[in-house]
Amino acid sequence: MYGIIDCDNCYVSCERVFRPDLKHKPVVVLSNNDGCIVARSNEAKKMGIRAGMPYYQLQEKFPGNQITVFSSNYELYGELTARVVSLIRQEAPNYFRYSIDECFVNLKKMESTDLKQWGERMHQKVLRYVGMPISIGIAPNKTLAKVASHFAKKYPGYKHCCFIDNEEKRIKALKLFPVEDVWGIGRRYAAKLKAMDIKTAWDFASQRPEWVRYNFHNVVIFRTWRELNGEDCVPEEEIAKKKSICTSRSFNGMVTELADLKTHISNYAARCAEKLRKEGSVASSVSVFVRTNPFREDLPQYENFMEIPLYTATNSTITIVKACVAALEKIYRPGYYYKKAGVIVMQTTSEDAIQTTLFDINAEQFDKLKKLDRVLDKINKVNGSETVVLGSQQYTPKTGKGKADVFANAIKHEFRSPNPTTRWRDIIRLK
Amino acid sequence: MAKVKILGKEFSHQNELKFADAIKAGFPSPAEDYRHDGLDFNRDLIRHPEATFYGRVDGDSMVEAGISDGDLAVIDRAVEATHGDVIVAYLNEEFTIKFLDLSHQKEGYIELKPANPKYQPIRISADDDFEVWGVVVWTIKPWKR
Repeated sequence: MYGIIDCDNCYVSCERVFRPDLKHKPVVVLSNNDGCIVARSNEAKKMGIRAGMPYYQLQEKFPGNQITVFSSNYELYGELTARVVSLIRQEAPNYFRYSIDECFVNLKKMESTDLKQWGERMHQKVLRYVGMPISIGIAPNKTLAKVASHFAKKYPGYKHCCFIDNEEKRIKALKLFPVEDVWGIGRRYAAKLKAMDIKTAWDFASQRPEWVRYNFHNVVIFRTWRELNGEDCVPEEEIAKKKSICTSRSFNGMVTELADLKTHISNYAARCAEKLRKEGSVASSVSVFVRTNPFREDLPQYENFMEIPLYTATNSTITIVKACVAALEKIYRPGYYYKKAGVIVMQTTSEDAIQTTLFDINAEQFDKLKKLDRVLDKINKVNGSETVVLGSQQYTPKTGKGKADVFANAIKHEFRSPNPTTRWRDIIRLK
Repeated sequence: MAKVKILGKEFSHQNELKFADAIKAGFPSPAEDYRHDGLDFNRDLIRHPEATFYGRVDGDSMVEAGISDGDLAVIDRAVEATHGDVIVAYLNEEFTIKFLDLSHQKEGYIELKPANPKYQPIRISADDDFEVWGVVVWTIKPWKR
């Protein structure tokens, strides 16, 4: 059995940990730069606020409503979700973190326990420890676990844990489940299925295998069909591999200064963006990690990791470098000798799919960035790699104000909450 | 006069013993059996790291319990609040630190009790929007600023 554990309306729930007064009230969180809405509380969803709606439309469309708005605060979300993952690891050591708010767990060794009860207890524990509501879907494979997780969220009767453990439940669930929401079925295939009058996951799963092979010459779709029918065929390594590109280096010597690390990270980020463009894919989140040399036990040790979601999936060098530098600034601590750093871009999807989610940058700017990248790639191809680079990829003098600083300070975050778990000055006040 | 017991820090895990297991010649170090990691507040005083949060005391409502303005409170959300605990509650859009008094539960209310005669106990009944946010397990008081 597999489980998928995810945080309910993750960013909103993080904000509510230190604002219990916002429970049961409409809350939204904005994207990087306060462009559009990326997370909504259930109350905000019920009002009809859509994900991706530009922030400025909120006042126009919902006048007179008390809606609490937050800028995204990834420092807070990163710390609180790390606590959640740590609790999951204690209960289910065989886990795989899939994104900032989702974790797959392999429950094969726990099948003698009552998994439904285990899931309910897990929910209660995480809620009590961290203040974070989570939902758990459990099923014989990952695709069905994802289906179960939707039900766990939607119907309070499940007590946050839905377990598809027999044929009857599987069929019932698939009949209620829209085919476009099935994990592994992209937008393009969803449209094709709709046109063929396939509406629910059951409509799809109950087709004959020849029909699936004939209509979709695609191994992923066929595998999804098999999983919906109860087989376990998506290997863990593959979701990890397919979902990320990593560029990292161990440094020759050791690096201590932020400015130097920024140069390295900018270069790794630029290389990842280039790789993405070469493959025709885009990233919807970037992560940066740094660590000291674990073999130098005489030196203080530090390692950290931070993921920043990119609301609009992209392969633009500028956007990806900017996000990585922002992440680095959050995890950099002075006083350590860094030995290794790297950039991981995650959740790469096909470039064709992004046009429809283009909310928070305007089309004109998007085209400009695209043109710029094309020129960049062309020059570097003809004249040798890294002939033309971003300012932040070049060495910034320690005293000077390099491009990297300008980048980092250009991000807008008007409604950002404090960081009570990562900054002493922000810890809660007790009256 | 109060007696002070000094808890010595153990340093015997340092480098000189590192290869003791591998070297077969000679006698094993007599200190080997006593290898022990040093005392560590994070490891020894924080029982539930995932559930632990910090708060700064703001005001004098608990001063007679030895909790004063500016003290640091270590809050554990994992332990269950029982009668007499110092708790952090969220009330009227702010966090408050008080004693939890459950002795009137049968009469349908509980009380949050300050430790300062200047302040009144806060009575909470079932329909109030109230939650115990966490239990204070330690306070840290700076003596030298």
